[in-house]
Amino acid sequence: MIRLRGLTVRVGGFTLEDISFEVPSGGYGLVIGPSGSGKTTLLEAVAGHVRPLRGRVELHDADVTTLPPERRGVGFVYQRYYLFPHLDVRENIRYGLAAGPLDPAAQADRVRELASLLDITPLLDRSIHQLSGGETQRVALARALAPRPAVLLLDEPFAAVDPATRQMLRRELRTIHAREKVTTLQVTHDFDEALRLGDVVAVLAEGRVAQMGRPDEVFRYPNSAFVATFIGTGTVLQGEVTRLAGGSTESPFAARFDSGPFSLEVVAEREGMAHAVLRPEDLMLSREAVPGSARNRLTAVVQRVERVGPISYVHLDAGRPLTAAVTSASADELGLAPGANVVVTVKATAIHLV
Amino acid sequence: MTPKDSLPPAAPSPKPPPLPWARLGLAALGALLVLFVVGPLLRLLLLATPASLGEALGDAELRTSIGLTLGTATAATLLAAAMGIPLAYLLARGSFRGRRLVEALVDLPVVIPHPVAGIALLLFLGRHSLVGGTLARVGLEFVSHVPGIVAAMLFVSAPILVSGAREAFRSVDPRLERVARSLGDTPAAAFRRVTLPLASRGILAAAILSWARSVSEFGAIVILTYNPQVASVLIYDRFTTLGLPAAVPAALVLLAVALAVFGLVRVLQPADHR
Repeated sequence: MIRLRGLTVRVGGFTLEDISFEVPSGGYGLVIGPSGSGKTTLLEAVAGHVRPLRGRVELHDADVTTLPPERRGVGFVYQRYYLFPHLDVRENIRYGLAAGPLDPAAQADRVRELASLLDITPLLDRSIHQLSGGETQRVALARALAPRPAVLLLDEPFAAVDPATRQMLRRELRTIHAREKVTTLQVTHDFDEALRLGDVVAVLAEGRVAQMGRPDEVFRYPNSAFVATFIGTGTVLQGEVTRLAGGSTESPFAARFDSGPFSLEVVAEREGMAHAVLRPEDLMLSREAVPGSARNRLTAVVQRVERVGPISYVHLDAGRPLTAAVTSASADELGLAPGANVVVTVKATAIHLV
Repeated sequence: MTPKDSLPPAAPSPKPPPLPWARLGLAALGALLVLFVVGPLLRLLLLATPASLGEALGDAELRTSIGLTLGTATAATLLAAAMGIPLAYLLARGSFRGRRLVEALVDLPVVIPHPVAGIALLLFLGRHSLVGGTLARVGLEFVSHVPGIVAAMLFVSAPILVSGAREAFRSVDPRLERVARSLGDTPAAAFRRVTLPLASRGILAAAILSWARSVSEFGAIVILTYNPQVASVLIYDRFTTLGLPAAVPAALVLLAVALAVFGLVRVLQPADHR
């Protein structure tokens, strides 16, 4: 388990303020935040490379706040990996075993085991200068896992590899995580990664935790316009909530949300200024108005269609920019092309107010 | 998608080549300087006939002098390394108060004319000074003794070793040390297993340059210890008392040592520093 309690760290220009976060034993936690939000510094504080001003770091119920890095049992993989350039692949992986309890034969066994797990056996005798980005990443991961750390810290581990390798590595990382049962904390700026990998996610904004929870919860219910915008949940509109006449007096109640050219039916918990989050997958597109009463209907013009495999993101102008996600098949069926007129419908219950 | 993916491709920055006549002029100026450096050395090397080399090798006084020079330069380099490598690491990694001041002080000898350094050392280490007098009582005499040569060499060459080693340590990313620490190394083990091996080439190159600086020192040594004579003093002595032809064989031998060291340093330095 990784538990941060009120951690405050100041390094150079970064300040992390009052960070509290917990990754359960064997879990996979993600910290996401824009570049420069202090994510690497957070990992370095967990690993013991920077001293916190306040707060505590607990790893598996032991308070390690004052322990030096070598006594924390933490594996650390930096974004740029930092393989030791004067050692070959095998020596890099074995590095952390030298100070441990294993005899040389057992060390060699552990290196072979990790090499086969990560599919890098043929690389063992190579110089690290001959490795591709993906191979370098695997070697760095093997090196960090070799001493069987209680906790694995990953700093943007997929940032330096191409997208195809990234997908494969992500899948493998999940497998390896399950197999080695190592509690993992990864930082990333990519919410997609959180959705695919994480059991628990914390969103960092300006040095503080803006929101934490299960990734799908954070994705469905961002608690602020910042989180919604940052994780790319959809279109965020600023406007005003007004209770509908004759609507329920209890919470939640039927209401109207006015934002510029839009007047949408919503289900709200309070009146006044608010942000509405329109998720791409909740916007339904048709060429003509479909029958049905309790739906919000907007007319829009297609600006651009962005195809991502089976899903197409349709960028619309409805007086305001909107983005809808449809299957690529229905995009073809509807003849969605720049300039096409469409009707956008969205259920009142699908509009998330923050 | 990472932000990187969405960046537009960098626009090529067109840089017009200099006009032909301008390039020619620049090349001519550069060539003049190169000739000015190479010419005199070639002129001296042309005197390296079997006869002159035989004369140099048969000269017992010259052989003793060369031996003394190499020995004292080695001693000065070892002393500079013993004290300077730890200092270089502190300067590269530490964020202590007065770091910049210490850095400036270590580099100071570089701008001091060497006879001035000799005078200062003479005042500091002479028999009638506090430090020199105290050391003389325990049997360590500097002026007109071998330790004086080593002291003069150390003074002028230590800055080269310290600044070179400092840059070598700086070129090792501290995150490599952090990775080593997370893999179970104490700070001392991380230094021994990662930092030192990675900085060793740079440190060795700095030590050789510092050694070469000691071998070529004249101005400070001649004031502190004229006799026994190191090679540079011997060359000067023969030139002033016996004339140019007598100085040439000794000069040739010293030039050969310098060229060998130069070649060694070029080999040791990583390609991007050449």
